[in-house]
Amino acid sequence: MSVVVLPRPVTGRRGTPRWLRLLARRRATLIGLALVSGVLFVGVLSPLLAGDPLRIDVARRLTAPGQTHWFGTDDVGRDVWSRVVYGARLSLLVGAAVVALSFVMGLGCGLIAGYYRRLDNLVMRVMDGLMAFPAIILAIALMASLGPSVLNVIVAIGIVYAPRVARIVRGSVLVIRETAYVEAARALGASDVVVIARHVLPNCLSPVIVQASFVFAAAVLTEAALSFLGVGVPPYVPSWGNILAEGRLYLQQAPWLVLYPGAAIMLTIFGLNLLGDGLRDLLDPRLRGIATERTN
Amino acid sequence: MKTYIARRLLALVPVALVVATVGFTLIHLAPGDPASVIAGPDATGDDIARIQRQLGLDAPYHVQLFRWYGRLVQGDLGQSIFLRRPVLEAILDRVEPTLLLTLYAMLVAILVGVASGVLSARHHNTVTDQALMSVALVGISIPNFLLGLLLILIFSVGLGWFPVAGYSPLEYGWLRTLRSLTLPAFALGLVQSALIARIARSAMLDVLREQFIVAGRAKGLAESAVVYKHALKNAMIATVTVIGISFAILISGSVVVEQVFNIPGLGRLIISAVLRRDYPVIQGVVLCIAGVYMLVNLAIDLSYLLFDPRVRYQ
Repeated sequence: MSVVVLPRPVTGRRGTPRWLRLLARRRATLIGLALVSGVLFVGVLSPLLAGDPLRIDVARRLTAPGQTHWFGTDDVGRDVWSRVVYGARLSLLVGAAVVALSFVMGLGCGLIAGYYRRLDNLVMRVMDGLMAFPAIILAIALMASLGPSVLNVIVAIGIVYAPRVARIVRGSVLVIRETAYVEAARALGASDVVVIARHVLPNCLSPVIVQASFVFAAAVLTEAALSFLGVGVPPYVPSWGNILAEGRLYLQQAPWLVLYPGAAIMLTIFGLNLLGDGLRDLLDPRLRGIATERTN
Repeated sequence: MKTYIARRLLALVPVALVVATVGFTLIHLAPGDPASVIAGPDATGDDIARIQRQLGLDAPYHVQLFRWYGRLVQGDLGQSIFLRRPVLEAILDRVEPTLLLTLYAMLVAILVGVASGVLSARHHNTVTDQALMSVALVGISIPNFLLGLLLILIFSVGLGWFPVAGYSPLEYGWLRTLRSLTLPAFALGLVQSALIARIARSAMLDVLREQFIVAGRAKGLAESAVVYKHALKNAMIATVTVIGISFAILISGSVVVEQVFNIPGLGRLIISAVLRRDYPVIQGVVLCIAGVYMLVNLAIDLSYLLFDPRVRYQ
């Protein structure tokens, strides 16, 4: 995991941190935060909220939503509520792991490419090549080689998004390495490792952190798409994409198989997008003025 | 201008080389020997050796890689293991539905996106603007395959206006083709139109603040001439980029949406190839789509020549 070094919060008169007040100023960001917290809550507490998502009860297959099965049952009688709730857990796991993985790989490649000019061309051409594939196509191809499993889904999506992180990091590093404080550190005899870790890395983080929310959303979407296509996580694993894939076959008899996991995906992505917009306005001071202008 | 085009073409070479290498390496990423993976768990040693020879896997990696480059230059994508025919043939057979779907979706995305973006900008900060932008925000949060399923539920299962799934080839009449592709194209295009609308709106708002717009109004031009002739052309520079990106996203999106609507295009080809571990077909489709993606990106860059004279005189 990359360690996020946030500056000490500058507290205002009422004791509320400035970043919190800035975050709260936009209603859209708060809605996003609420939605994402909701998914987080459901995902973390899924064992308390739902029963066994794998329990098969063929006698009750394709039961409509009701008292015992809030979201109905699927084609082998599994409880859809439980599967949707555990699906949130899987989405969170995939999202968080992909963000971590793509950030570690992207930061590594971006720092090297930006700092060591001789390696820049080589690293960035490889990144360009990876980005020449549309995301979902590269993910499908990687899954074809790696085989279906949750870990492989994370690795595949992580590889897909790492070059996008790397490109942003490289851009910041190119600016930072020319600054006076980096020159000063070098003049004092600091080694490359120290300069990169102490001076370059912390200063190139904020534009990347802004991307975290969007990479998270993209990872959740890509996992759902891969599983929907049957090349993601194995079919028994409760995943929103898997439920939708079953739902496609029973559209007329059991529309709830599409509606509930569909709503879950939509609300999650919607929340992450709103939160991402808010974070971008907050962490990217250049955009702050534009943001306030837009809300007016 | 000529140097600009030449430079852009030259920049494609290393990217194409990396793309070809990645496409080749994919098959070697599989844990264990690719030949035994292809042959399946019940294969005998002879089977595996035969597949190894067939795919040239018995040669060292770098030799295989250069053979691969050589074949690609000649347009040879190899033989499908399962379909027992050249990969290129199989791909060309499946291009029609994917291409038509992508173009149809592009049309939907541009028409809906640019129209609502311009409308939003003209009525900046009114109810129209806020309503359109709220819809767009929800729009970018719906995955295309989910929207496809919802459209089927409403317009096929509910109202019965469109076929639930399937594709009618062009040879049976273009009207039937159009009808079979309408729901998929909207599923694919509407999601992109949300993105285009957001970009078109902000590009338009930026342009409408420019001096030459004030000048145009001051000399008494009709509002429609100001907006559609002067502002729109300038707002298109930012919009064309996102339209180009959208096109690239739509090609890959159609791979997913085809699965929803049972359309026999490239998407169904690659998914069935993945399930059968037919690696040459997977490589072929991936390379073809990446190739188109690269050409589209080139076209975007070159289109600036058309829209932005500043690039032209560089």
